[in-house]
Amino acid sequence: MNARPQNAEAPAHERFPLKPGKTYGLMCVVPTRTENTGSAAEKQVQSWPAALSRELLLFLVTVVALGLVSYFFNAPLEEPASALHPPNPAKAPWYFLGLQEMVSYSAFWGGIGIPGILVGLAMAAPYLERKRGGEGVWFHHSRSGANWTFLTLMTTLGILTLIGTLFRGENWALIVPW
Amino acid sequence: MSIREVAVADEAGLLGRIYRSIFRVRPVPQTELERSQAVASNFFFHIHSAKVYEETLKFKKTLGLGLFSLFTFVVLVITGILLMFYYVPAPEQAYQRMLDLRGVVSFGTFLRNMHRWGAHAMVGLVILHMMRVYLTGAHKAPRELNWVIGVVLLLLTLFLSFTGYLLPWDQLAYWAIMVGTSIASYAPVVGDQIRFFLLGDDDVGREALLRFYVLHVVVLPAVLSALIGLHFWRIRKDGGLARPSTDE
Repeated sequence: MNARPQNAEAPAHERFPLKPGKTYGLMCVVPTRTENTGSAAEKQVQSWPAALSRELLLFLVTVVALGLVSYFFNAPLEEPASALHPPNPAKAPWYFLGLQEMVSYSAFWGGIGIPGILVGLAMAAPYLERKRGGEGVWFHHSRSGANWTFLTLMTTLGILTLIGTLFRGENWALIVPW
Repeated sequence: MSIREVAVADEAGLLGRIYRSIFRVRPVPQTELERSQAVASNFFFHIHSAKVYEETLKFKKTLGLGLFSLFTFVVLVITGILLMFYYVPAPEQAYQRMLDLRGVVSFGTFLRNMHRWGAHAMVGLVILHMMRVYLTGAHKAPRELNWVIGVVLLLLTLFLSFTGYLLPWDQLAYWAIMVGTSIASYAPVVGDQIRFFLLGDDDVGREALLRFYVLHVVVLPAVLSALIGLHFWRIRKDGGLARPSTDE
């Protein structure tokens, strides 16, 4: 190899010749965002058996619980259907009794308007709540506004459902179930 | 050791080879690699990642509500298929078939009980699951789409339960569907058309029973199953179950 003057045009390995007896490491800067910088390592476990065994357990609990309920309680079966003998009151399945209760105040708003708005709100919820934080924590303090709004709506629906189920008798009049 | 090598290793005659042709790992995998393979090489397990965050496995984090919903659905599919062997979706026969389930079919009452209570339980569990997800902030970015899919799954669950409600063809069923479908007719302009489309008639009758039956046993379960698959797949694509950021 010819000795050449050390100028800027020379190849890098000539400008910075390796020195014998020294250890070199190769490093570079990657132009990207690293997610976990500065955070503690999260403990991961093998899905087999940690997740699978828990899933099996929950499956068995489901089957046993449903089996026990089905053993002790019989599903209702009333008289054959007859269009000539309407019961008073006729009630929708329990999960629609909140709607039926609202319908008794306003047919459109109770049956279509409010349920439609609620479903729309539910679908829009994650897009409306843009502030980060509080994921995976029950009732995180940074989300108390959202949680309270949600709980208020759900409780209202629950109370309406309860009224429709238990406290409505003949001609949809208020009754006391006991 | 690759999957192929595991397959070749400790072959024990014909039975061993048959076993290896189905399962690529030992019944009880011993090493980390084998455990990963046990998940990745199994059709039913491979929707899981090989590893999960220990934090998200804690029962108090999820109360197991999503899985309880799924497993209740599985029980409903099994009992539902068995009930289909006995059921006829026609007004003259449907109710008689209910009486047969009670009096003639072995374990018929138990089968119907399980399907009925399971259906009520599933509606409740899915609602509770939704509340859990919201109250733990697990619906937020990057899981927005999975939340929306979840809302659709809730609506499908309600509709699935509602269509099944008519099938016993007793007074409870008949008038509940009468009331329920009349709610649909309160929609402006097209309300009556929607109700007619649901019932196939102006009132609850033969056509409604057939329509609800087909929706209940084919259309809705198929759509629900497909969306459940998507829902689970998205959990993994969105980075597993929601958990607190570690630098908080």
